[in-house]
Amino acid sequence: MLRRLLGFGLATMVAAPALAQAPAAPPPAWAQGRPAALNASPLAPNAPKLTVTPADQVPVGKLTLPQGFKAEIYAAGMPGARMMALAPDGTLFIGTRTIGRVYAVKDGKTYTLASGLKQPNGIAFVNGSLYVIAINQVLRFDGIQGKLDAPPAPVDMTNTFNLPPEEHHGWKFATIGPDAKLYMQVGAPCNICELDENRHALLLRYNLDGSGREIVARGVRNSVGMAHHPQTGQLWFTNNGRDWAGEDEPHDSLGVVTRVGQHFGFPFCHNGNMQDPDVQGRACSEFSAPALLLGAHTAALGIRFYTGDMFPAEYKNSMFIARHGSWNRTQRSGYDVVNVTLDAAGKPTLRPFMGGLLEGNTFLGRPTDVQQMPDGSLLVSDEQMGAIYRITYAK
Amino acid sequence: MRRTGALLLAGLLVLASSAAAGPEPARGKALAEVRQCGACHGADGVAQTAGVPSLAAMPGQVVVLQLILMREKLRQVPAMAPFAEGLTDAEIEDLGAWFESLPPGLPADRAPVDATKLAAGAALSQKGRCGICHLPDYRGREQMPRLAGQREDYLRQALTQFRDSQRIGTDTQMTGLLHGYSDADLAALAHYMAHRHGGS
Repeated sequence: MLRRLLGFGLATMVAAPALAQAPAAPPPAWAQGRPAALNASPLAPNAPKLTVTPADQVPVGKLTLPQGFKAEIYAAGMPGARMMALAPDGTLFIGTRTIGRVYAVKDGKTYTLASGLKQPNGIAFVNGSLYVIAINQVLRFDGIQGKLDAPPAPVDMTNTFNLPPEEHHGWKFATIGPDAKLYMQVGAPCNICELDENRHALLLRYNLDGSGREIVARGVRNSVGMAHHPQTGQLWFTNNGRDWAGEDEPHDSLGVVTRVGQHFGFPFCHNGNMQDPDVQGRACSEFSAPALLLGAHTAALGIRFYTGDMFPAEYKNSMFIARHGSWNRTQRSGYDVVNVTLDAAGKPTLRPFMGGLLEGNTFLGRPTDVQQMPDGSLLVSDEQMGAIYRITYAK
Repeated sequence: MRRTGALLLAGLLVLASSAAAGPEPARGKALAEVRQCGACHGADGVAQTAGVPSLAAMPGQVVVLQLILMREKLRQVPAMAPFAEGLTDAEIEDLGAWFESLPPGLPADRAPVDATKLAAGAALSQKGRCGICHLPDYRGREQMPRLAGQREDYLRQALTQFRDSQRIGTDTQMTGLLHGYSDADLAALAHYMAHRHGGS
C-alpha cells in the first residue's frame, strides 16, 4: 500500500474542502506530484478508443520505416489491442486494458476469447496454455489452440498468485523466461510515493503453477515490457518514469537485470543520477542505473529481441521497443517503435525504426507491443486503432 | 465470461463498420427512435425523468465510451442493460454523433437557485478544479462529460457513486478526486453544475 502521501501532494490535492472531516485522501495517481505551479495545466491522460476502427481507416499508409521495410495491416477490428503472445501453431493472443477483452488472430480471422475482465493486459503462452493476467486475477486457458471458436473454461489461479489489489499500475505485463518461469511486474500504486519495496515497483517471477514468487528487481516504477536476451539470457525491461517533474525529465528507461534482486532506484532516483524532487532519503549512488534513457514521458512499453532471418543482419539480437506516446508533455513525443542495438561490450544505442503516427502535436495511433513472427516479420500492436501492423523486409 | 455474442460480433464487426463511413447523426437519430432512448432521456435529449442524464450536447465520445462499457458489462446499469445489448460499434458511434449534435437544454423541473448551495458548489468546483478537464464552462470534452445544465438529481447520484467506488469511468480518476467529499459537498456541486449554461 501507499505508505505516505507526499506532503506536497496533499497541499495541492483537490479534495482539500473535505480535509477537516475526512482522513487525508489521495488525489488520482495521474495528478500526484503535480507542482502547484502546474495546477492549471491542461495536460490529462489520453482518452481510449473502444470502438472498431475499420481497416480502411487504420493509418498504415502513414507509417515510415527504414529503406527496404514495408508495413501492412495484419489484423484490425480489435479495439484496445495491446500485449501480444504467440503460440507454436501461429495463433496470436492479444490482451487489452479498458475494454476488458482477450483476442486471438489465426489465419486472418479474429476472435474474442474473453470479455468483461478488469484490464487483462498480461498475456503469455507456454506448454499449450494461455495465461491471462488481469488486475489481481490470473486465468489459465489449457488446450486453447484450435478451440478459438469455443474456448475452454479457464483454470482460476488468482489465489495462488495472490497479487496486490491496487488498480493503479496494477495491470500486468507477462512473459516466459528461458528458466520456464512466468515473469511479470507489480507497478507502483501511484505516480510518485514511498512504498513497500517488497510489494510494489517490482519485477517478479513465479513457477508456472503460481508458486515460488521471487523478486527479480526492485525500484522499477512500472515495467510494461520485458524480454530475455537470446544469448545471455539476461532480463531487459522498459520502465515508465514519473510525471510532473518536467517536460524533459525524468526519462523512461531501458534496464537490464545483472543480479537478482537489484534495486533500480524508484521512488528516490530516476535516470540513474536524478534525485527525486519529492521523495528524499536515499542517494542515487545506492542504486543500479538504467542501461539507456528512452525519452521523457514517451511511455516505452512492449520490447522484444529480434532473432529472425528476414531483417538485415545488423538487427540480429537487437531490441525493438514500442513507445506508446506521451500525455504529460506539451509537445507530444513517442508514438513510434525504436530499435536498440548492443555493441560487443553490451552498450546500447537507440535509433528510430517505425514512425509516422505523430503529426505536429496530433497522434494517429499508439504502438504498444512488438512480436516477432516465425518468418522473421515483426508485428506491432496499435491500441488506439485496435490494429496489428506487420513489418517485412525485402532487398 | 466467454460470450458467444462477442465471438459473432468480432467476426462481423469489420464488415459492418466498413459499410458505414464514419459516425452519422441522422442514422443515430433513427436508431434512437427505434430504441426509444427519448422515453427516458427526452426526445430532444433533455431528460425530464429523475435520475436520468440529459444527453443533448454531450461530447460524442462520452456517449460512445459509456455505451461500450455498459454493453461489455464493465459498467452495470440495470435500466440500460437491454438497450445497450447487441448494439454494434458503428451504431454506438452514430448515437454519440446524434446526441452531440443536439442543442443543450434544461429540464422543466429544475429547482430554483439556492444561493447558499450555489456559492458552496462554486467554491468546491474552484478548489477541485473541475474546469481543467470538463472545461471552464463545464461543457465537457472528449471522454469527460458535459456537466452544465445536467439534471441535479443525476449529478448527485453519479458523484456519490464515483466517491463510493460504485462506478468507474474509462479510468478511476473521479473516484480518486472525490475521495473524502461529504454528501453535502456533492449536493452543492450538483446544484452548481445544474445551474451552469456553458456552451449553450
